[in-house]
Amino acid sequence: MSGSFEELRRHFEEDLTRASSLDDVKRVRDKWLARDNGIITGEMKRLRDLPKEERPAFGQGMNQLRAQVESRIEELRAALQAAEDLRGRKRSDLTRPGYPFALGTLHPIRQLQEEIEAIFVSLGFTVFDLPEVETDYYNFEALNMPRLHPARDAQDTFYFDDNLLLRTHCSTVQVHAMESMKPPIRAVNIGKAYRRDAFDATHSPMFNQVDVLVVDAGITMGDLKGTLEIFLKRVFQQDIRMRLRPGYFPFVEPGAEVDISCIFCSGSGCRICKQSGWIEILGAGMVHPKVLRISGVDDARYSGFAWGMGIDRVAILKYGVDDIRLFFENDLRFLNQF
Amino acid sequence: MKISIEWLREYLDLPESAEQLALILTMAGHVVESITEIAGDPVLEVEITSNRPDCLSYLGIAREIAALYGTKLRTPRTAKMLRARQERAEYHIEIRDRDLCPRYVGLVLDGIRIGPSPDWMQRRLAASGMRPVNSIVDITNYVLLEYGHPLHAFDFDKLHEGRIIVGRARQGQKMETLDGIERELDSEMLLINDGAGPVAIAGVMGGRDSEISDTTTRVLLECAYFQPASVRRTSKKLGLSTEASYRFERGADWDGPPAAIARTCYWIRRLAGGQIAGSLQDVYPEPIAPVRIGLRRDRAEALLGVSLTPEFIGSTLKSLHFKPVRQGKGQWLVQCPTFRADMELEADLIEEVARFYGYQRIPATIPASRSAGQSSAVHSPEQATRHIMRGLGFSEIMSLSFAGEQDQRRFPPPEGQSLEIRNPLTEETRFLRASLVPGLVKAVKCNFNHNQYQVQLFEIAKIFRRGADGAVCERNTLAMAGTGTGAGRSWLDPGAEYDFYRLKGAVLALLAGLRCAPAEVVPAPPPAWLNEASSAALMIDGKCLGVLGALHPALAEEYKLKQTVHIAEIDFQGLCPYLFSPIRFQPLARFPSVERDLSITVSREVSYGALRRAILDLGIGELAALELTDVYEGDQIPAGRVGMTLRFTFLDREGTLVIDRVQRFSDNVVRLLRESFGAELR
Repeated sequence: MSGSFEELRRHFEEDLTRASSLDDVKRVRDKWLARDNGIITGEMKRLRDLPKEERPAFGQGMNQLRAQVESRIEELRAALQAAEDLRGRKRSDLTRPGYPFALGTLHPIRQLQEEIEAIFVSLGFTVFDLPEVETDYYNFEALNMPRLHPARDAQDTFYFDDNLLLRTHCSTVQVHAMESMKPPIRAVNIGKAYRRDAFDATHSPMFNQVDVLVVDAGITMGDLKGTLEIFLKRVFQQDIRMRLRPGYFPFVEPGAEVDISCIFCSGSGCRICKQSGWIEILGAGMVHPKVLRISGVDDARYSGFAWGMGIDRVAILKYGVDDIRLFFENDLRFLNQF
Repeated sequence: MKISIEWLREYLDLPESAEQLALILTMAGHVVESITEIAGDPVLEVEITSNRPDCLSYLGIAREIAALYGTKLRTPRTAKMLRARQERAEYHIEIRDRDLCPRYVGLVLDGIRIGPSPDWMQRRLAASGMRPVNSIVDITNYVLLEYGHPLHAFDFDKLHEGRIIVGRARQGQKMETLDGIERELDSEMLLINDGAGPVAIAGVMGGRDSEISDTTTRVLLECAYFQPASVRRTSKKLGLSTEASYRFERGADWDGPPAAIARTCYWIRRLAGGQIAGSLQDVYPEPIAPVRIGLRRDRAEALLGVSLTPEFIGSTLKSLHFKPVRQGKGQWLVQCPTFRADMELEADLIEEVARFYGYQRIPATIPASRSAGQSSAVHSPEQATRHIMRGLGFSEIMSLSFAGEQDQRRFPPPEGQSLEIRNPLTEETRFLRASLVPGLVKAVKCNFNHNQYQVQLFEIAKIFRRGADGAVCERNTLAMAGTGTGAGRSWLDPGAEYDFYRLKGAVLALLAGLRCAPAEVVPAPPPAWLNEASSAALMIDGKCLGVLGALHPALAEEYKLKQTVHIAEIDFQGLCPYLFSPIRFQPLARFPSVERDLSITVSREVSYGALRRAILDLGIGELAALELTDVYEGDQIPAGRVGMTLRFTFLDREGTLVIDRVQRFSDNVVRLLRESFGAELR
C-alpha cells in the first residue's frame, strides 16, 4: 500500500509542477480534493472495501496524504497569489491619478532671464539691478543722445517731468557700471524697459531686455563677436549661425545689427524670416568714445563693447508665441505650457 | 527711403539683380526692408539710419553702391551759368541769425509756365511716395530726392519788396503754413520773412501766402543750410515733420546748395520754360570748414581685432569721398566729405573701414575674463523665492507696471504719492503701480473668466512711489494670491478651500525655505483692500514687512469675483537683509526625545499665539518643539470655549529624560495655562 501512496504522491507532485497559474491550482485542487470526484476522495472511498486490519493504516496514510496535498496546494496558491498581488492586479487600480502635488510654473520670460543671467555669471559678469524710473542723463544724455538727437525718435518715451522718465532700454547699465566700477568691467542688466507703443500683437509699452557692457584694455570687435556667439548659441541652439552688419546706435561706434540664422527653417527661408534665412535679434557695437569719456573712462586706454537684446522677442521666437500680449495677461492656460 | 532701380540706373551702372543689390546694401548698413515692383520696376524700401541723412537721396545711395562695387558715378547735368543776362528781378537776402542759418542760396527765374510735370517725373515721384503737384513743386521735390538737399520755391511776385530776411520769430507770432494750418511760433524758431512778414518756417514748411499757384510766372528758389538741432526743435514743437525737416534735422550738406540749385535750374529751364531773371546769390558769411579727423592704423586694428593694410584704409576712404592725407607711418589726417554729417571722431572713420572690410571677416575671439561673476543682491533671493513658490504650487505672473485711477482708488498706497506719467497711453496706464495686488487680482479675474477657479499666483516686481521728499522709491515686492483649492481637485484629496491658514502656511514655508530670521504673523488693522475679519501683518525684527488676508468683499463684488481670494503682499527688498541666515551645525541629540500631548479647553477669547508665547516664556530649555495638533469647537465642550491639543517634544541633550522631569515640565505648563488662561484639561 505504501507504494501506492508514493505513486499518488508522485502523480500529485507532477500535477503541481505543471500548475503555473491560480486557475491551474484550482484545477489541481478539484482533481485531487473535490468532494465528489477528487482522487483523494475516491481513494478514501476504497477504505470500506479494505480488510478491517488494514483500514487504520490506510486511513492514516490517506489523511496524511490529504493534509500534504492540501498544504502543498495552499503553498503554491499563496505563492502565486502573492506574485499576482505584486503585479498589482487585485489590490488597487493603479491607473488612478497619484496624489495631487501641484507644482506651479515659472513665467516664460523670467525663465529666460534666469537662463541668461546664469550664462553671464558664468562668463564673469556682474549683474546690476537698476532703477526703472531713470533720469534723462542715464537713459539718453550720457549715451550720446542729447536732447535734440534724432535717434530719440525711435524711442518714444514716457515722462514724469522734463528730467524723469521710464527707461527706454536697459543700456542704462553702461553709465551706471562705469560710474561704480573701474575697468575691467563686465556688467549685465536684465529687466523691464518701456516705450510709448500701444498694445498690439507685436508691441507692448512694457518689455524685457538684457543689456551688456564689457570695458577693458584691448577689447576688440572680434571679442564682441566671440562673446555674442557664446551667448546666442547658449540661448538658442548650438548650431545657429550669426551675422553682423553695420547698424546705428548713438552709443556705439562701430555699431552692428546682429542676425541669427532662422531657427525655424535653419536659414533656407520661411515666413518667419521673410524668406531671408536670417532673423534680426539684437543691436551691438563698440562703446562710443564719448560714452566712455562722459562716464570717466579713459578712451585712449580702454575700449569696450555693448549689446542689447529684447527678451520677449527671444521668447516669441523660441516658443512660437504669436502675440506678445499673452506674456502679460497671466492666463494659466498659457502659463501652464512653460 | 524708396529707391526705384530704374531711376537709380541714371547715376551708375547696376550689374546685379535687385535682390543682390538689396543684400549688398543691407550688409553695408542700409537695410532693404522689402522689394516691390511698380510697373515692372523693382523699388527697394531702404531703411536709412538717422546718422546717414546723406543716403536719403538717389545720389547718396548711388555713392554707396559705387564705392561698394568700385564703379563710377555719373554726375547729373546741371545749369552751368547761374547768372542772369540782365537782372530783371532784383532781390535781397539778409541772414540775421547766422547761428541758425549759416548759408542761404537764392536764384530767381521768370517766364515760368506752371503745368503738370512730365509723366516720367510724376511716375518717379509717385514711386517714391510723393504726390505730384505742379511742375515747379515737382522739380524741387525731384531734386530733393536726387540730391537729398531740400529746396523751396516762392512765388516771387508775392514776396514783398523782393526781400528775404532770415531770423528768429517773435514769441507768439502766427503764420499760416502750406497745409492751411495757422501755427503759433516762439522766439527760438527760425523764420524766412519777406519785406512784410513770415513766408516760411525755415527748413520745415513754406507759407500759404507765397505758395506756387497756377498763375505763378516768377519763382525764387531757396536752397539753404539750417542748423540741425534748431530745425528739429521747431519741427518737434510744432508737431510738424516734413521731407525737408527730416533731412535738415539729421544734417544736410552745407556745401550742397549750389549744386542742388543748379540742378533745379536745369530742370526748370527744360520742363517749365524758365530763364534766370535774378542771378544766384550765395550768402555764406562764415564758411564752415570741412571736418578733419586723425586716423591711426594701429588704433583701427586694436578696435576691430584685425590687421589692415594702409592701402586698404586709404582706398576705402577715398572710394567714400574722404580725403586721407598721410601724416606718417600708419597715420592720416582725413578730410570728411561735407555731406557726412555723422563724422566727428576717429571711431567714425574706423566704422567706415570696418564696413568695407566686412564685419563678417572679423574673426571671433573671446576676451580673457579678469573678474568673477556675481549675481545682484536682489536677484539671488528673488530666484530662490521663485523656485520655492513654484514648489508650493504657485504660478508666476508678469503684469504691466502701470495702474489706472481706479486701481489707485481701490488699492490706495499706504504712504507717499504715486508717480504719474505726463504722457500716458491710456487712462488705465496713467500711473506707475504702487502695489502688485491690482495686477494679481486682475490675473485671478482673467482666469475665472476662463473657468479656471483653482488658482495660486505670485509675482515679484517693483512698485513705485514718491517719498515725502519727492524722491522716487522703487521697491522689489512679492505678492501672492490663492483661491479655490489652489490647484485642481483630486479623488484622493478633495482639496480644502483656500483659507487664511493656507496662505499663512505658504508665506511661512517660503520664509523657512529662505532661512529667514524668526517671523511672526500677527492680527493687524487691514489696509483698505483686505477684509478686516482676516487681516494680518508679517512681522520680522519688529518691522511690518507685509500684509496678508482675504480680499475685501466690497472689492470682490466690484471685480465680480465669485470666490474669496486670499492675498499677501510682502516688501521683498525689506525682507532681503533677513534672509539666508548663516548655517551653524548643531550636534545631533544622542538621547531620545519624549512627546506629551495636552488637551485643554480655553475661552474663545484666548488665542493660541498668546498660549504659545506664555509657554515659551517659561523658559523650559528641554522644550524642543511645541505644535498645535488639533482644534475642536462643538457639542463636546461648553459654549464659548475651544478645545486645543498641544504636542510637546522634550529633549535633554545631556542625558536621558526621566519621566519625573517630563512630568514636572507638564505640570508647570498646566499650572500656567490654568492660572493665566483659565484653561481646563479635557
